[in-house]
Formats: sequence, structure tokens, C-alpha cells
Amino acid sequence: MKNFINQMAFFRTKVLFLLIVVSTNLLFVGCTDLEEEVFSEVTEDSFVPGDSDIVAVMASAYTPLRYIMDWQGYFDLQEEPADMLITPTRPNGWDDGGTYKRMHFHEWDNTQWQPRNTWITCFNGINSVNRVILQIESGQLPVSEEQAVSITSEMRALRALYYSMLLDTHGNVPIIASYSDELPVQSPRSDVYDFVVAELTEVIPTLQENVDQSTYGRMTKWAAYHVLAKVFLNAEVYTGTAQWEKSLEACNMIIESGEYTLSSDYSDIFGANNEGNSEMVFAVPYDQIYAAGFGAHMKMMLPDHRLVFDMEAQPWGGSSCNPQFIDSYEPTDNRLGDTWLMGDQLNANDGSVVMTLTKEMPSIYNCDFTQGFRCGKYEIEPGATGSLNNDFPFLRYTDVLMMKAECLLRTGQGDVAAQIVTEVRERSFDNAEDALVTGAELQGDTTVRYGTLAEDGSIAEAGDRSPVPFGRFLDELGWEFAAEARRRTDLIRFGVYQTKNWYNHTPQGSHTTIFPIGLEELNTNTNLDQNPGY
Amino acid sequence: MDLKKPLRKRKINRMAKKWPLLLLVLFGIGNVMAQQKVSGTIKDPEGMFAAGVSVSERGTSNGVISNFDGEYEITVTSPNAVLVFSYVGFITQEIPVGNRNTIEVVFEENLQELSEVVVIGYGTQRREEVTSAIATVKSKDFIQGNVKDAAQLIQGKVAGLTVSAPSGDPTEGTQINLRGISSITGGTGPLVLVDGVPGSLNTVAPEDIESIDVLKDGSATAIYGTRGTNGVIIITTKKGNYSIKPTIEYNGYASVSTIANDLDFLDAGQLREKWAEGYSFNGANLQDFGSDTDWVDAITRNAYSQVHNLIFRGGSETTNLTASLNFRDIEGIFLKSDNKKYTGRVSVNHNMFDSRLKTNMGFIVSEQSFNTLGDGTSFNPYIYRQALIRNPTEPIKNEEGNWYERDVYFYDNPVGYIEETVGENRYRNVRFDASMSYDINDNLMVKGLYTRKGNSNIRGFYQTKNHVSTVKYGQDGFASRGTDDYIGNYGQITLDYDQKFGKHKVTGLIGYNYEDNTNEGFWATNRRFPTDGFTYNNIGSGQGLQEGEAGLGSYKNSDKLIAFFARVTYNFDERYLLMASLRHEGSSRFGNDNKWGSFPGVSVGWRVDQESFMENATWLDDLKLRAGFGVTGINAGDNYQALSGLTYGDYFLYDGQWIRELVPSRNANPNLRWEKKEEVNLGLDFGILNDRISGSVDYYNRRTKDALFNYSVPTPPYFYGTIAANVAEIKNTGLEFLLNVTPIKTDNFQWTANLTYSTNKNEIVSLSNDEFQLTNNFFDEGYTGEPIQISTHRVQEGQPLGNFFGLKSVDITDDGIWLIETPEGEIIPATESTTEDRQVLGNGLPQAYFSWNNTIAYKNWDFNLNLRGALDYQILNFSRMFYENPTISYNTLDSAYDRVYGKAVLNDVQRFVSYYVEDGDFLKIDNVTIGYTLPKNALKFTQSFRIYASGLNLATFTGYKGIDPEVNRDGLAPGNDDRDKYPSTTTFSLGINFTL
Repeated sequence: MKNFINQMAFFRTKVLFLLIVVSTNLLFVGCTDLEEEVFSEVTEDSFVPGDSDIVAVMASAYTPLRYIMDWQGYFDLQEEPADMLITPTRPNGWDDGGTYKRMHFHEWDNTQWQPRNTWITCFNGINSVNRVILQIESGQLPVSEEQAVSITSEMRALRALYYSMLLDTHGNVPIIASYSDELPVQSPRSDVYDFVVAELTEVIPTLQENVDQSTYGRMTKWAAYHVLAKVFLNAEVYTGTAQWEKSLEACNMIIESGEYTLSSDYSDIFGANNEGNSEMVFAVPYDQIYAAGFGAHMKMMLPDHRLVFDMEAQPWGGSSCNPQFIDSYEPTDNRLGDTWLMGDQLNANDGSVVMTLTKEMPSIYNCDFTQGFRCGKYEIEPGATGSLNNDFPFLRYTDVLMMKAECLLRTGQGDVAAQIVTEVRERSFDNAEDALVTGAELQGDTTVRYGTLAEDGSIAEAGDRSPVPFGRFLDELGWEFAAEARRRTDLIRFGVYQTKNWYNHTPQGSHTTIFPIGLEELNTNTNLDQNPGY
Repeated sequence: MDLKKPLRKRKINRMAKKWPLLLLVLFGIGNVMAQQKVSGTIKDPEGMFAAGVSVSERGTSNGVISNFDGEYEITVTSPNAVLVFSYVGFITQEIPVGNRNTIEVVFEENLQELSEVVVIGYGTQRREEVTSAIATVKSKDFIQGNVKDAAQLIQGKVAGLTVSAPSGDPTEGTQINLRGISSITGGTGPLVLVDGVPGSLNTVAPEDIESIDVLKDGSATAIYGTRGTNGVIIITTKKGNYSIKPTIEYNGYASVSTIANDLDFLDAGQLREKWAEGYSFNGANLQDFGSDTDWVDAITRNAYSQVHNLIFRGGSETTNLTASLNFRDIEGIFLKSDNKKYTGRVSVNHNMFDSRLKTNMGFIVSEQSFNTLGDGTSFNPYIYRQALIRNPTEPIKNEEGNWYERDVYFYDNPVGYIEETVGENRYRNVRFDASMSYDINDNLMVKGLYTRKGNSNIRGFYQTKNHVSTVKYGQDGFASRGTDDYIGNYGQITLDYDQKFGKHKVTGLIGYNYEDNTNEGFWATNRRFPTDGFTYNNIGSGQGLQEGEAGLGSYKNSDKLIAFFARVTYNFDERYLLMASLRHEGSSRFGNDNKWGSFPGVSVGWRVDQESFMENATWLDDLKLRAGFGVTGINAGDNYQALSGLTYGDYFLYDGQWIRELVPSRNANPNLRWEKKEEVNLGLDFGILNDRISGSVDYYNRRTKDALFNYSVPTPPYFYGTIAANVAEIKNTGLEFLLNVTPIKTDNFQWTANLTYSTNKNEIVSLSNDEFQLTNNFFDEGYTGEPIQISTHRVQEGQPLGNFFGLKSVDITDDGIWLIETPEGEIIPATESTTEDRQVLGNGLPQAYFSWNNTIAYKNWDFNLNLRGALDYQILNFSRMFYENPTISYNTLDSAYDRVYGKAVLNDVQRFVSYYVEDGDFLKIDNVTIGYTLPKNALKFTQSFRIYASGLNLATFTGYKGIDPEVNRDGLAPGNDDRDKYPSTTTFSLGINFTL
């Protein structure tokens, strides 16, 4: 018995000892260590970039551009406030809190999404550019001196492209030229203009000149000249001083390079396999699998177009073309049919009529499904999903020619301009004579009959019907570049945007030529002041 | 400090001392003169045989202990002997023997002693000594019937704790809110401890729970530091005891559930009337398709469920065991909506060395499976929406026997959607517990506990080739599989001290806590299958992988929490009480310099009734004043938010090849730190007239500082638009009343009533700090969804959370266009309104909650009636906002054709206007139970047998026009009654409990 008690006492001591040892271990051997263990991402501290990471890091500066054709992206921002694409209320909705009506009426406020999305797109890109440049300058990326110069130049040119978009849409934006923690400070529009011009001018000599697969979708010397030409073309809007000569000069640099030719077939430019098209100065590449985002067709096609194009996705069927613009086309212009889906829509499999699209769109408050012609410019492949394979031709050679023509036209060389325009038109007319235009014609008024429309399609309120200077040239831009995310810019440059009535729209004043800065942006950055008029 | 322990220890020590005596008695029996043998059985108040009762002869050392069957036998020395029967928790009885040989004893509960034990953090306390706001609900007071989880057991029982069941989905739990919304991103979920280890409200079956303690205020929860802000719910499972007779307890019920309330959409007849009246529609109701289908009826059913629970208990002096098995088979009201779960639990206690060493080992294992109609989710709200908005004249199938489908925007046959979907989620949860405590001496105890937890699940989902995903969208069969795995370690070591010096009573506790959690998972999707035959079981056979249409992903992350803590309590003369605690805790989720935080808590109590000047107030049983202050925290919601990480993102075309971009994973915030809540609690407990009336009143004032919030930041300089940061400050104040009354108490009839009333006032004090500034002092939250597409709530400094913010409708034009009153008081048509015309339209959080629980016992009958309600809040009725409009292109509510404001039928687009913001005030008859306990000995083989019928969510009195005014109140957009919400149900159950 005593032995047992002794044993027990011994065992008891042992247990106590064990408890103390275990607890001491638990307490002091690594159990106050709160280091985070990371498994499925890379920590910035431990990351040592290799050669393949150079492209990966640079890539992030380009990918934001894909939002251009995404939901309420730059495409909508440039088209919805203009005189072509309109999104009326339809039986399946499309009021969406009045967002499309505000775009059409120019009655947006600082909560409007389309301007915000473009702001976000551009500043995401700018931020990434600055990050890449910082990583090169700080030696974080293993680049040779030569690579450092070439990548930095390309990045700066890309940043200038983003700023050229913001210069046009928001005007007074912060210029951010480095990756830092500083809260950005706003710059007036003229400074933004100067920044874009200076940056492009500075980097152009060191940009890549070759045009091939290796530079496709990248900022080359020619893409930089194109952006520069475009900014000069709109300089009067941005700064009050026109720069036709400078724009012309930049255009000539691209033309003289001989790297580009007009695409012989207009539709090829917008095909599902349009990569490498001879017109592409700068494309935003999309891919159904790899690079989703080209979804603009979902907003423009009808649900039943699924049967017409044998699509996999069922589009939502909102936007269609203002009948006033359809009426402006010359009857022999093939671009009417190449751009718009009209009349009977046939089943891809059996050829039966699925539905018939009509031109009339009674009111932005009330249209039927099939009212209004839909944009069919971008080829829809069989099996197409919500995201197309087509690359977006952001900057194309025709635009270079047309910019040149506009500069010539505005500087008194109408006939030379007309030659260029005729050259561009030729591929879209069966009869070469029909393609011919004269300098005098191009200086004439627009053929679009502006004025608000009554439900029956007649003009309800003509509004300002004074002739649009070079209005006929504006029409050429419209027919050639319909639904290419630029109509708003052109309308502003020709003074139509802020003066004319169309469809259900009446002018709201010149402050609408730039958008308000978003509430969220104002809210988070105390340095920002709202644009005038908002 | 476990105050139960000294009592038990005392008892066992006493028992140990008496063993030799017993031996002496047994062996020395022949030597003693004038002996008288007395025997009998001892029962507890419920008629159960009481084992381990000490039976002793007064004034002698003669004593025995009753056996498992409650039997005792003692030999006394003289007929004048008095036998003393004593047992913990019961009133000690002294019975003179006289010349009897048989004495039967029935114990009475010592309420004074039994009601006393309250579970606090890392220990227990006597109720009298509690100085903070802690509520305890025992199993006999639980809600009965088909409850969703542990929280619903105490629905309406605890003042200030709101438990609601907004969803009828059998896989969804309850929503819990304690003392308002104190955190913006931290949610309202309390820390749930199951037998001392962090778990969930579903870790153990509701039928397996003995009691639930709710720690409400900061001074009580500070000991849990990082996770104490939303309160702590401590679940104590049913346990065995030493020296008890083995028992088997069965509890089971069967129930039927129906939809609580139907929305009144146009049926085929009504739609045809509308056409006849001249209405014409686009989209769904374009034309008559000749049938008569009740679509909601076609996808719903009466849901039958059954639950069975078995508990085995038994124990010797040194070892005891509890084992339970639970099976739940719950059906939801939608076709294929269900939830099956098996839970097993074993807990073994083992005492050694005079009970100085106590060990426990146990495990909890459960397996759960349910059908899925969404990929990985039980309920697919899209299907319910389709049933509501579908044209009632369409047939379910066409003449060829295929599902009847049309090409209308977002419009699919709901019956086909269900029938052509196969899916299952299956879960396995395992938890191993081991603990050991050792009494170093009478004042010091050391305890260690270790738990390893693991959960895993596997999911499978398939949409057949007859599903619209193929019929309309060309997927050619779609399959998805996925699995997740969780492993956690939890360990704790504590040292307990307790000592009495005259009138001073002191306890102390120090401890260390370690916890880690690791989550990982894998998923894949594929399409283009050769046959439907494999469903999701042969995912590689789909050709989508080769076409680049398959999806694949995996992840892994982990986090850690480490804490040191200490607590002292001091009790002077049972009059003045003090408790002080401090926890120092670190989380891996925070920035390097901010990982650790300290959380102090202190509370004091004054038991006025114990003062000498109250001696004459015999009517007063209890009067205690309490005051407490405590600091608690909220851990960051996600891992790695303080860490700069890089991740591979979108593709970029580089020289003809697609290369992934490398981008930052997030805006890292190295300054990320604890969200801290400071809380003051003032309370009063009272009991009068033999506790016939008792209750408590509590006032709290909580201030959350450094509240974590996904703050909007400008890009640039930031890479992304939001950053997790400690920015906001929120204030909550409120009052809580609890009143327990026993108006009638006779031998055969007892009525007890329990009333709670609680108020809450919430204010956002600030949304900015030095680092992050909002230009405006607000941001908008909540979203109507398509096609209205506008935010529903505004979160603004100086305002309460939950404010609805939209257009105030006051009238309608003759043409049926809303007329809006602008904040300036101008009346304009809605077509001319802008977002600037919005204003506050109400608030989605109730200002007050109340409940009234009644228990009536009459002879063998028991009757429970629970009423519950909420006051002074609004609900945004999404169903009306979307469907009470004749212009839409889907089926509408019947009320869409009523004149708005008695003037005109609506002819405007769908808008978020105040017309749809309704008062939500309600009173619910929530739980009615009637039970009958068979008389003793009616069934020989059972110790007790009860049968009961119960109804849940029986009736609601409210002005609200939606299905149920108890809607989602979580998050920053509370009060949105989502149009796709799984409707809540009314449930009737029939159950049996018996003990063998």
C-alpha cells in the first residue's frame, strides 16, 4: 500500500513535470511567432524578377486598355453622348436607372459610371506605367541599358496615350509622372495637353520603328505619332489654339514610313481575325479565351441575333442607330450595310427570317425590340460568346489619312484633301465615280438633318440649323468611323456636340464637352476640384 | 476559475474520507450492538434515481453512498439516529430513523446553489459574483422544434441578442446581432465556443446542448480580446457525471414546413383578364400560350423533415462517458432543397490520484450533404425569380415533351432548370479534444487543452444537355467540381488560483492561447461532354478543356492568433465584487509593427441585499449593482492585407504569345491594426418575493475606434481603388431589460413569464482619420441590381447605419409618373429627377426589440408560447419595387394594377422611391409548444417520457406587405428585402423525448 502511494506520488511528480515541460515548450519555442506564411502569391520583398518577368510587369500597363469595349467603357463614353448610338428603354428594360438617357441628354452628374470607368481605365494604366518605370529606374528589373531606354520610352508613350484620352474626356486631371505615395494634384487642361505633346516628342526618337508581330498592340514610333497628330488635331478644343500644321506633320511621318496601307476590304479591319491587318497602327488585342472584354456587341445585338449568327451567348439588345444618321448615308455607300444590321435577320442554319429590324425608333422612352438598326460592324463568328476575338482598331491608318485630309481642308487645300478622302472612299463604293468627292463638297454643310425627332420620325424641334463648317467632312468621318469610340470627339471639334439637336437630345451648354470628375474620385482626393459647370 | 470544482472536490474528498468508514461499517458489522438496518432509494426532483448521495448518521462517522440505482443501505446504532442525506445542488435532508427500516428520499433542488454557476471566459462563476452582463439559458428553456442552429434555441430569450432566421434555406443558419452593429467590415457574428474551443453554431447538434451562456459586454468579453467585440456565445454540451446510473436519452421529431406567406402574382386567369381589359405587355406576358401554370407551386412542396438524437451517459467514480448520435434530414420548400447531417460525439472524463488529475478526451465528427442548384450553393435565387416572373399561361413542357423555353432576356423555365441540374455538396468535420488538469494543491490548478480541428468538403455540379445552359447557350453540358480543406490547431494552458482569507475571496488566472488555421482548396469546371451519363463524375471527358473553355484553380492560406491573458477576481464579504482581466493578443493578419494589441477589462459589483442595513428587507432576495468597462477587438477579415504581394493577372499579347501580367495583389496596408471597441456597461440585478419576480437592467455605451473598413482611395497613388484600413468610429448605446415573473405557482400549476426589451441607437461618428480623408462625409452602399441600378443606402457621419437613401415619392401624375419631393421641398416628376434629389427615407435597423416567453406547467402538461417583435424600422420591399409595375416585361404582382396613391396606375419605369420603403414593425407568434409527460411508472422501462407538438414562425402581425418583415439586417445595407430571398417558412413538429 505504501509502495503504491509512493509510486503514485512519483507518478504525480512526473505528470506535473511533463505538464510544465510541455507548457514551457509551447510558450517559448516559436509560439509567439506571427509571421505570415504565404502560399499562393509572391511577396514583394522576396520576389526576384527574372527575364520573363520584364514582359509580365510591363503587361500590366497595357491590359487596362481592354476596358474600352467592356461594359460602360470608353466605347460607350464616346458613342452614347453622340448622335449615332442610342439606348432607348425597350420591353426587356434598358432604363437602368436612366443612365443611357442621361448620356443622350448630356445630363450626367458625378455619379455617372461611363466617365468614371474611363477615368479608372486611364489612371490604372498610368499607375502601372509609373510602376514599371520606377522598377526600371530603381534597378528592380533585370534590364540592360538598351532595354531600359526602349521600355521606358514605350511606357511613356503609352502613358501619353492614356493622358490623351483623359485630356479629351475630363480635361483637368492630375499629371502623375512618377510612382509615389503623394496625393495627386490637379492640372489645368492646357498643362495636360503640354505634357502629352512634350512626352511624345521626347520619346519618339527612341521608340521602336518596326511594324510586325513583335510590336503588334504596342506603342511604336508610329503609334506615338498618331496620338500626337490626334492631340494636335483637337488642339483648338483643348487649348484654344489650332495646330493643323503640326498635326499634318505628324501624319506625314507615319505616311512616309511606308509601314501601313489601306485595307483593301473595309470589313476586314473589324473581322474576328483582324490581327495584323495592314491598317493597324495601334490595336487593342482581344481573345475569347485569353483576353476577354470585347463585349460591346452584347449591348447592341438582340437576344435573337444568337440564332442569326449562331452565337453561343444571347445578347441583351439595347443600343441601336439614330435614324437621322442612317438617313445621311449616300445610297451607294457600302459602309451603310457593312456597319449596320438592317431589315430581315436570317437564321444562320435554315435561312428563315428570325426578325425584321426597322429604322424607326419612336422615343428613347419607348422602343420595341426590333426598332432601330444594330451595329454589325464587328464580325460575329459562329459560337461567339459574350467576349469577341476581334481586336479593337484603336488607331488605324485610314484615320491618319483622314486627319491629314482634315488638316489640309482646314488650311485651304480642299482639293488635296478631297483626293485623300476619295481614296479612302473607293473601297466602299462599287462604282468609283460614286466615291469621288470634291474640296468644295467637303467644305459644305452636314447632310445629317439635325433636330429632335417626334415619335413618328418627323422633326419636332429643329434647333440650331446653322451650317456646320466642313460638316460634309464630319459626315465622312461618321460614315467611315461609325461605332469606333470616337464620334463624341469629332462632334466636339466640329462644334455640333454643344449646339445641335438630335433624336431626343437638345444642347446643354459647352461645359458638357468634358465630363464631371466622379464623386468617388472627388471624395477620396481632396486636391481635386470639379470641372466647371458641374 | 471553476467554482464548481471546490464543491465537487469537497464532496469527493469527503467521499474518499468516508470509504474507510464504509469499510469499517461493512466489515465490523458483527461487532456493533443495537444495530438497525435502514435501506431505501433516493430520487431527484425529476424522479431520476440519484447515485453518489452521501447518507450519514448525524453525529457519528457512520456513512455510506448510494449506488447507481439510487439505493442505499446503512446500519444505524440506535432508533434515535438521524440520517443526513446530502448531494451537491440539492437541499440537504435530515430524517429521524425511528423504527423504520425503509426510508425513501426525494430531493428538492437547491435553487440557491444550482442557478449559480455561470460560464465565463476560461472558467465559471457563481451568479451572485458576476459583475458583467452575462445571460444563461438552460436546455429546459430552449425553443423546441425544428431549429436551424444553436442560436435559434435562445431566440428571444436574451435581451439585446437578436436572432433571426430570414432565410428558409435548410442549409442557412440564423443571423445574430448583439447590441447593434459595432463593426463595418467585422460583421455581427459573435465568437462561438463549444466546450471552450472556438467553433460554430453548428459544431454540435442543438439537441446535444445543455446550456448557452452569452457574454454581452466588453468587461466580460475582454478576456477573448480579438474576437470579443460581437459578444461571446459559450455552448456547453450535455455531459455525464461521475457515479451515475447509465442512461439513454432519445429526442426526436418529425416536422412539416410550408412557405410562410405567398406573393400574389397574376395567375393565368388574372393575366387573361388584364389582356381583356386592354393591357398589352412585352416580353414574358406578350401573349397567351394556352396553359395554366402556377410556377411557384411547380417548384415548391410541403417539406418533411426528421431529427433523431441519442445520448448515452454513464460513469463510475473515476471515469464517465457521454456519447451522442444525431441525425437530421431536413427538406426545404423548394424541390431538391435539403440538408442531411450526421453528428457523433464522444467525451470521456477520467479522474486519477484522488481526483487531483482530471483528464478529458473527446471527439466530434459530423458529415453533412445537400443538393445544390447553384454551383456550390444550395439555393439558386435565379430559379425562384424565374418562377415568380414567368408567364402563367405557358406550359411547363411543350408537345414534344421538352421544357418549354422562349428567347426572352433572362427568362428560363424554372422547372427545367431544377430538373436538369444535379449537384451535391458534402462536408466532413472532425474535432479531437484532449485536456488535462492537475490540482497542485488546494489553491492552485494547472490545466492544458489541445484541440485539432479539420473540415473538408467536396462539391459536384452538373447541368445536363437539356438545361438552358446548353439549349440556349451552347455549353453542351457543364460540370464543376471543387474541394476545400481546413485544418486548425488550438491550444491553451492556464493556471488557476483561489484562496479565502476570512471575508476576502480571491481567484486568479493566467494563461496562454495558441491558434492557427490553414485553408486550401481546388476546383475545376469543364463543358462539351459526350454524354449526360457521367454528370460531374468524369470531368475530364468534356472537350472544353481542349478548347480553352475549362476553368481551374487552387489556393492556400493560413493565419495565427496567439494570446497571453490574466484575470483576478476579488470578493469581499459577498458584498463587494471586482473582476479585472487583461489579454495581450497578436494576429498574423496585421502589419509587422501592429500585430499585438492589449485588451483590458474591469468590472465591479455591489450586492446591496447583503448589506446589514438591508437585513430587514426579507422580501428582497437579490439586489446587485454592476459597472464594467472593457476593450475588445475585431481581427482583420482576410489574410495578408498588410502584406505586399504580387500575383499573375490578365493576359497580354507579346510577340504573338499571351503572357500573364504581374501585378500587386492588393493595396497593402502595413499599418493595419486591431479594430478596438470600448464599452461601458452599467447593470442592476434584482430578485424579490422568493425570486417570483427577478430580472436585470443593463445600459451600454460602445464606441468602436479604428474600425476596419475597405476604404476608397484614389488611384494613383494607390494601385487599387480600396484599401483595408482602420478608419471609422461608430457609437452604439442601448438599454436592455429582462424580467422573469412567476405569477402563479401552485403544486399543480405554474406559469412563468420572461420578458425582454432592448433598444439600440447607432451613430457613425467618423469615417476619416489622419491618413484617410473623405471629401464628403459619406459613401453609398447597397444596390438594387438590374435594371434599376442604384444604391439603396447612405453611410454618413453623424447618422445611424442603415439609412435608406433615395427619391421621396409623394404623388403620381395623371399619366402614372412618380412625383418626387426634392430635399428642398420642390415637387418634380421622377423623369426630371437626378441623384441630387435623393434623401434619407428611413432606416433598416429596428430601434427596439421585445419578446415575451411564457411557460405554463399544469400537472403533466407543459405549454410554451413565445412572442417576439421589433419596432421602429423600415424595409425596402424589392418585390414590390420590381414587380408592382405594369410596364415591365415580366409577370407582375396583382397589386401592380392598383391605383398608386388612389390616383393613377403606375406608368413609369421601375424606380427606387420611398413608396416601396415600408414600416417593418411586427409581432410574431414564434414558437408554441405543447407537451405531455407520462406519469411516473406509466412505462416501466423509461425514467421519463414526453411527447410534444410545436410550431415555429406561426403568425406575424405586421403592416409590411412582403413575405416576412424579418429580413437581412447584416452588413451596411440592412433592411433590403431582396426579391430573390429564399422565403421563410412555417414549421409544425411532433416530437418525443424519453430517457431509459
